[in-house]
Amino acid sequence: MSAMQFGIFTVGDVTPDPVNGRTPTEAERIQATVAMAEKAEEVGLDVFATGEHHNPPFVCSSPTTLLGYLAARTNRLVFSTSTTLITTNDPVKIAEDFSVLQHLSGGRVDLMLGRGNTGPVYPWFGEDIRQAVPLTVEKYDLLRRLWREEVVDWEGQFRTPLHGFTLAPRPLDGVPPFVWHGSIRTPEIAELAAFHGDGFFANHIFWPASHTERMVQFYRRRYEHYGHGTAAQAIVGLGGQVFMRRNSQDAVKEFRPYFDVAPVYGHGPSLEEFTDQTPLTVGSPQQVVEKTLAFRDYVGDYQRQLFLVDHAGLPLKTVLEQLDLLGEVVATLRVEMEKDRPADVPNAPTHESLLAAKESSDD
Amino acid sequence: MTDLTVVSGGLREPSSTRLLAERLAAAATKHLSAQGLSVTTHVVELRPLARSIADAMTTGFANTQLEEAFETVASADGLIAVTPAFNASYGGLFKSFFDVLPEESLTDMPVLIGATGGTERHSLVLEHALRPLFSYLRAVVSPTGVYAATEDFGVATDQPPLDDRVDRAGADFARLLASCGQRVRRSAFDEEAARMERLLNP
Repeated sequence: MSAMQFGIFTVGDVTPDPVNGRTPTEAERIQATVAMAEKAEEVGLDVFATGEHHNPPFVCSSPTTLLGYLAARTNRLVFSTSTTLITTNDPVKIAEDFSVLQHLSGGRVDLMLGRGNTGPVYPWFGEDIRQAVPLTVEKYDLLRRLWREEVVDWEGQFRTPLHGFTLAPRPLDGVPPFVWHGSIRTPEIAELAAFHGDGFFANHIFWPASHTERMVQFYRRRYEHYGHGTAAQAIVGLGGQVFMRRNSQDAVKEFRPYFDVAPVYGHGPSLEEFTDQTPLTVGSPQQVVEKTLAFRDYVGDYQRQLFLVDHAGLPLKTVLEQLDLLGEVVATLRVEMEKDRPADVPNAPTHESLLAAKESSDD
Repeated sequence: MTDLTVVSGGLREPSSTRLLAERLAAAATKHLSAQGLSVTTHVVELRPLARSIADAMTTGFANTQLEEAFETVASADGLIAVTPAFNASYGGLFKSFFDVLPEESLTDMPVLIGATGGTERHSLVLEHALRPLFSYLRAVVSPTGVYAATEDFGVATDQPPLDDRVDRAGADFARLLASCGQRVRRSAFDEEAARMERLLNP
């Protein structure tokens, strides 16, 4: 079993390719996503995660439908989300969808909860954005109970009560999927993850390292405070963003037109400034290895590293080439990240590890 | 030790906005010194930060240079904020700086406001634009602001001279700053985390 998991996460955006001006159809984007996931398994990655959005230009409104299909076409890849909206989804539906997905995939699934960053999604789903924090706390509390208690009697502020409710199907082997909590900005999510002893995933890619360091160290401290283990044993995941060619100058030249107009950060700082200030790496595979290994310097030894490789209108062919290179990078990272890793730092949680932990505690 | 930070949104070099800001800082220092306080003044010019401010709007984070300016503002005991009047309001760069400044940076901060313009016809920009902005940011805005038209830097007019208005604004700001007492800095990060902790541990 590997100490760390490596993979990719996608936001499922349909973005015009700024180089040839062509916009893929929604069908093409969805099929490209399938091709990426298959490629990810082929090159030896561990995890594929999809975002969840409910508005154009995104095609990822139904993550478990996509992940169920992908699970049938793969054998080893673990599926996750980035993120599942805990604020606006019904926790009962989340519990049901992921329970079925667990059974279909043989336990190759976990999920990352988040609040989402699109304001109108709240009113579209009948929620009030000003209640985002209490919604998160209450809905997640119910989700945990649905997975852990045979019969749930529950009353809360934001959902119709449940009496005598039993989740069906029950979680695979009686083991709920591992939960990560994903955050770009707020320490509230780090506190929530620490409170429950869940994983904390720092988006990492849009902000400077100093911000991620503060968030992760806060989460680690609070994880220990709540008695789940030492700070070093907290479960941490990071985002990353790369574009590679064998020759670093080729990478810069090819990626620049995509960077310059990219959604989220385009039309702002130059590629050079942004790579200097954030984890974005544009260059050779060796440069990506070096920059990624340095993440540990400010977050400590961690469990999951996901890369964004398919946004901003990059064509599928290019993305698949990126995945080939990423496979090589990850092979090196696996070896290097194991070096000097303290024995008491947990491996990345999987269904198998959670099942083993459950069986040993049942004994 | 009292730290005064001056934010000047002037775009020209030399800048009459910067000039007014310095005059206000000197007047405030004079009156604070008279109360026995030792004053250090720090200046944040916005023009050299113009690209950093625009980048912070697109990326959502400040680069190192802008981060330093934020720290200079947030760590101050009092702020003197001066902008040119453009099109019936504060200058866009001045507003943009306060748009990207982290939340809670100005909470409880005594602020002296000033503005410059071509003619005195824009003088209510202080009351209609600057004062509501800083009130919204939970600053404590000094009652006396100073508006300086181009003419104020030249011959005497029928208005009270600029020197007198600056001196009075400095005196009022010094009294406000002294009576506000020691400022306790707020941290949005710590407060958000604490709010979540309370929700989880009712």
